[in-house]
Amino acid sequence: MRPSQLFRSASFRIAAAYVGLFTVSVSILAGLIYLNSTSALQSEIHMRIGAESAALKEEFGQGGIARLLQAVADRQRGRLVGGLDYTVLNAQGTHIFGDLPSTKCTPGWQVFTGPPDGDEPLGQMERLSVRVTPLGGGYCLLVADDIGKVDTFGTLILNSFGLVFLFTLLLAVAGGLFLSSRVLRRIEAINRTAEAIIEGDMSQRIARRHAPDDLDRLAATLNRMLDRMTGLMETLRHVSNDIAHDLRTPLGRLRQMLEEANRTASSPDEFRQVVTGAIEEVDNILTTFGAILRIAQIESGSRRSGFCKVSISSVVADVCETFAPLIEDSGKTLRADIEPELWIQGDRELLVQSAVNLLENAVAHTPAGTEITVRLRRSGDTVTFEVEDNGGGVPDGTTDQIFKRFYRVEQSRTASGNGLGLSIVAAVADLHAARVSATNVYPGLKIDMVFAQPA
Amino acid sequence: MNILLIEDEPELATYVTRYLELNGHRVEHAARGDSGYRLALQHSYDLLIVDRMLPGMDGISLVSRLRGEKRNLPVLFLSNLGGLDERVEGLNAGGDDYLPKPFAPTELLARVNALLRRPQGTHEPTVLRVGDLELNLIKRAAVRGQKEIPLLPRELSLLEYMMRRPEQVITRTMFLEGVWEYNFDPRTNIVETHISRLRSKIGADLIQTVRGSGYMIRAPKPAL
Repeated sequence: MRPSQLFRSASFRIAAAYVGLFTVSVSILAGLIYLNSTSALQSEIHMRIGAESAALKEEFGQGGIARLLQAVADRQRGRLVGGLDYTVLNAQGTHIFGDLPSTKCTPGWQVFTGPPDGDEPLGQMERLSVRVTPLGGGYCLLVADDIGKVDTFGTLILNSFGLVFLFTLLLAVAGGLFLSSRVLRRIEAINRTAEAIIEGDMSQRIARRHAPDDLDRLAATLNRMLDRMTGLMETLRHVSNDIAHDLRTPLGRLRQMLEEANRTASSPDEFRQVVTGAIEEVDNILTTFGAILRIAQIESGSRRSGFCKVSISSVVADVCETFAPLIEDSGKTLRADIEPELWIQGDRELLVQSAVNLLENAVAHTPAGTEITVRLRRSGDTVTFEVEDNGGGVPDGTTDQIFKRFYRVEQSRTASGNGLGLSIVAAVADLHAARVSATNVYPGLKIDMVFAQPA
Repeated sequence: MNILLIEDEPELATYVTRYLELNGHRVEHAARGDSGYRLALQHSYDLLIVDRMLPGMDGISLVSRLRGEKRNLPVLFLSNLGGLDERVEGLNAGGDDYLPKPFAPTELLARVNALLRRPQGTHEPTVLRVGDLELNLIKRAAVRGQKEIPLLPRELSLLEYMMRRPEQVITRTMFLEGVWEYNFDPRTNIVETHISRLRSKIGADLIQTVRGSGYMIRAPKPAL
């Protein structure tokens, strides 16, 4: 697998998109925490300075400048690192106490920058937030605190988030690469199988895993599709083999017949006789071709769009009426037991043809004296059309095969027919979603078609 | 009768032309759909024989356009397709009959003659007569001489189909299509069986077998 393929893979892109989203949300979170904590810290500092300024102003108010100086001196003495700075100026702006730079005595907040005192980040100046409070008698009180520690705290927050972020990014990219390479490997396996099939090895199937997941289900579906296609191709190959075989035989016969005539016939009458036979043979071949095309057309399912309500009762009754004299003439009897007014959704012409084919089949493959029984009846929500005879039946185990193309029961190979009549019946049944089956009834054969009756 | 054959297969065209001319028709031939269409508009023919698949213009659109021009001459379609729906398509487009290739020349001739002799009027007879055989279409009863002949419904429609086409050759497939509405070829000879039944009921002299083609109903020639 090439790296470029890995980066182009869908799963990698999804992973990358998630990393991107995660980055944005972590940044927002970091920003929020930074802003909230620094502003909270800042306001706490302001509150402390404000409270101190007020307290000292109170001292001044009670005891004048001496008491104030006493108070700030006490505070300065107990001052620890990080504590507040105090400075008192007189009316001329001269320092009476403390070392903050002197300033104009206007009440409010100011920011001073001074030389570093060691707790600020390297290379930065000390920054002080100063509260200026004018006192009586021109005195001015300055209370200050280092706001550099706010910045330090903020930087600390940002740095921690930066570390977390870097670590997550690494993890996400590695995870994304790992996951997508796994998925890609499986897709690659599917791809290889498909390539092998394209190359001609239809037996290839996609390897399955034990734990079923999306890709595994896809593999299963693809495998089933391949099975179906193989089945269809198999059928197609069988059909073309059958066609080749079943048309070669009569074509060979035709050729032989014509060659023989060419060699031995001497009079126009003899030639005419051979030509008549040849035409008959050609007609049979054409009929077979027609039947094959018809089966293909029925199997394509395009006729289903023309389905409408058909009286199956009248279809069967008509066909029975048509065949009654013919069956009688061939020394057999026809019994029809048809329940009237049964309707199904279907194609009348094709239903007629199936009924005709079933009756012709019963007539053609039974000895004289056979009784043929046609039944049409409803049971529940199905309609069963049945053609039964008490002729010889078919050899055991061949009842399913008689619906196959060109299948002819061995002993009846010589009998007329192209072996496609029942295939057409099966195709029509399939088109109508009907179940068709043959059973030996000793003596004889019963073929039934079971249709679902529309509500 | 003047027939225009529109067919692009030269061998088949020559064969059909020769056969129809031999049987007393005049045939003109066009090898393309568009030229055939122009010919059909310029001259008056009694019948058109049109192949489905043609260069220039296909048979279906040719006939639809002719019908659009109010040309009501009978049309017989020829087709290689011979499938399930092609027949219906051809008839819907305005064709009067449909013959799938390959066909026997006798079949073509019988259908051509049937189309040419089709009554143009809309007058619908209630009684059909051939010789002394009478078929009352309203009472659905056949009488020969003075004797009523009991017929089954199928035999009645078979007889009606023939009596509407007296002295015309009717082929097996024409019977199957016209009487049974079977557009496929059953392998058994149901037509022969039913004709022989009918014959035995109405008398053998009326229905003649035309060898290699089909049957014809005709009043027997008076015995000399």
